[in-house]
Amino acid sequence: METGAQPRTPPGVPRTAEIPPEVRESITDFLYYEADLLDERHYEEWVELFTDDARYEVPVRVTREKKAEWDVSPTARIIDDSKEMLQVRVARLNTEYAWAEDPPSRVRHFITNIRIHPGDTEGEYAVRYNVLIYRSRGELPRYEVLSGQRRDVLRETPDGWRIAYRQVILDQSVLATYNLSYFV
Amino acid sequence: MQTVNTASVPEFVQRMWHTLPEGRVPAKIFNDPAVYELEKERLFSRAWCFLAHESEVPHPGDYVLRWIGDNSIIVVRDEHGEIRAHHNRCTHRGNQVCKAEMGNASHFRCSYHGWTFKNTGDLIGVPYYREVYRESLRKEEWGLKPVRIDTYAGLIFGTLDPEAEPLDEYLGGFQFYLDFFLKPGPNGTEAYGPPERWVADTDWKFCAENFGGDGYHTPVTHQFGFQLGFYPSSGKTHFMGYAVHIPGRGHLIGIGHTPGLPPFVGFPEEVVEGMQQALSPEQIEVFSPARMSVGTVFPNLSFLIQPFSLTPKQPGLKFCTMRLWHPRGPGKIEMFSWCLVPKDAPQSVKDELYRIYNLAFGPAGTFEQDDFENWTNLSRQNGASSAADFDLAYFQGLDWEPLKDHPGPGLAFTPYVTEIGFRNLWGTWLNYVSTPPGERVDPSRVPPAFHPPQ
Repeated sequence: METGAQPRTPPGVPRTAEIPPEVRESITDFLYYEADLLDERHYEEWVELFTDDARYEVPVRVTREKKAEWDVSPTARIIDDSKEMLQVRVARLNTEYAWAEDPPSRVRHFITNIRIHPGDTEGEYAVRYNVLIYRSRGELPRYEVLSGQRRDVLRETPDGWRIAYRQVILDQSVLATYNLSYFV
Repeated sequence: MQTVNTASVPEFVQRMWHTLPEGRVPAKIFNDPAVYELEKERLFSRAWCFLAHESEVPHPGDYVLRWIGDNSIIVVRDEHGEIRAHHNRCTHRGNQVCKAEMGNASHFRCSYHGWTFKNTGDLIGVPYYREVYRESLRKEEWGLKPVRIDTYAGLIFGTLDPEAEPLDEYLGGFQFYLDFFLKPGPNGTEAYGPPERWVADTDWKFCAENFGGDGYHTPVTHQFGFQLGFYPSSGKTHFMGYAVHIPGRGHLIGIGHTPGLPPFVGFPEEVVEGMQQALSPEQIEVFSPARMSVGTVFPNLSFLIQPFSLTPKQPGLKFCTMRLWHPRGPGKIEMFSWCLVPKDAPQSVKDELYRIYNLAFGPAGTFEQDDFENWTNLSRQNGASSAADFDLAYFQGLDWEPLKDHPGPGLAFTPYVTEIGFRNLWGTWLNYVSTPPGERVDPSRVPPAFHPPQ
């Protein structure tokens, strides 16, 4: 279960890099396509957008003093998946016993503020962008909105863009959701 | 403790003294504003409540912010290494003096008028002390209000009741079972990173009960695990094992057995050696054949050890999760979920155990997702007005007899799937919420959880 890609976004807030417009357009289109697959619950197609060595992390966010070294936990994770583990989640959703998603949640991913940098490896790009995720479930008017930043490493392959690494940094230390049975 | 404005006891709670011994629990206790008020006044103000694991505050000055009932509590290790707990409330105007979940501080300074407290709680700084108070304020009387604490095997508990019995007595022999979760080696456990926290419209009591040993729900709620080939046990033997409770105290545990499993199966080799050193022969007799084990310390702290793997059809490793079902209102909780790892284990083993825990538990956990789907829905249903007249079926094991040769404390029954311990759990709860402030909670008043035929 070795994973290749690691976070490659430069530390701090990187200046926008000069990226050819056709690359920018292609990556943006890919991210919208991927979000659409999730919102339409085409999970089997979605999971194939990850490389075989991919890692998908949702770290625990902690309320700390301003001077603290970190507020994104370096160790604690809400999700820390390989592609195989993502496939387990998808297989689980496809059983008749994924009660948490039957009836399914209505989920919508909103993606903005896309910033693209060259990765460490030829053909890879480090992409930072904001994601807002809306979820409604059942007949209750209640809904959940999660906000976060995704930090992806996208790899160019003969089949198109693939996700080699994804970290989703959610903007709550106590999550306002009773379960994350949907993908952020 | 609050001694005025005594909360009123709803009719359905009073009725429970008669219905519980017959195996019926009023549904409304699981989501009701009056019940929540009673729990704040009579249960969480008197019980020993879990605050933190010692490994969360390893160094002098380390602190975490936690709760007892609706009270914010600072748990801090002082400069001499002693762990202390204080109310997070400035003694001048009541402001929160600590606003971070965790950190390191030699002192806490109020952001309103600047009163400053050492991490021991002592008041050491008062702006314009001479000019305004003319030195009449006795600083030694105005430190942060301390909270009485005690520890067991790395767990820090606190109580707001100065008269509460010692923690050892409160645990009442349940330490024998807690050791399985807390003593995987001579140096015990540590929390792997800060806990995952989230909120749910769920009553804490369903969670505490489920983790008291609800083996009944597993083959249905978590059927996906069987379907994908994750479990070493088949559904046919799933109910086998033992259910133990401590009468009058509420604590309970389920110990699932699968015939033919080798002893300590699923624990890494290094951990098995540590357990053999740390556990007594009687504990080894009870726990070495266990497939899994799940238990609750009354009222709202639970533990689970179960095997799981990152992909299906693997032998699996046994991880340990500790969780606090913290009440945040009627039918509402805030969850704290930790993974406990053996302190003596190599880092690679700790990392692997955490990753396995993570796939199963926490807000995105494949088990936890479905539990919260159920618990949220049933909290909603039991909050409905008609639930006040509705009793839930708690009949399992009503006429069973306890095992005579069980080597541990408490009363043990077989098989593991039964509701006997749940009746003791809710009897203990009933005893607390029925005992008015100022009176002692007497464990002998808890009705027996079973009635063997004469």
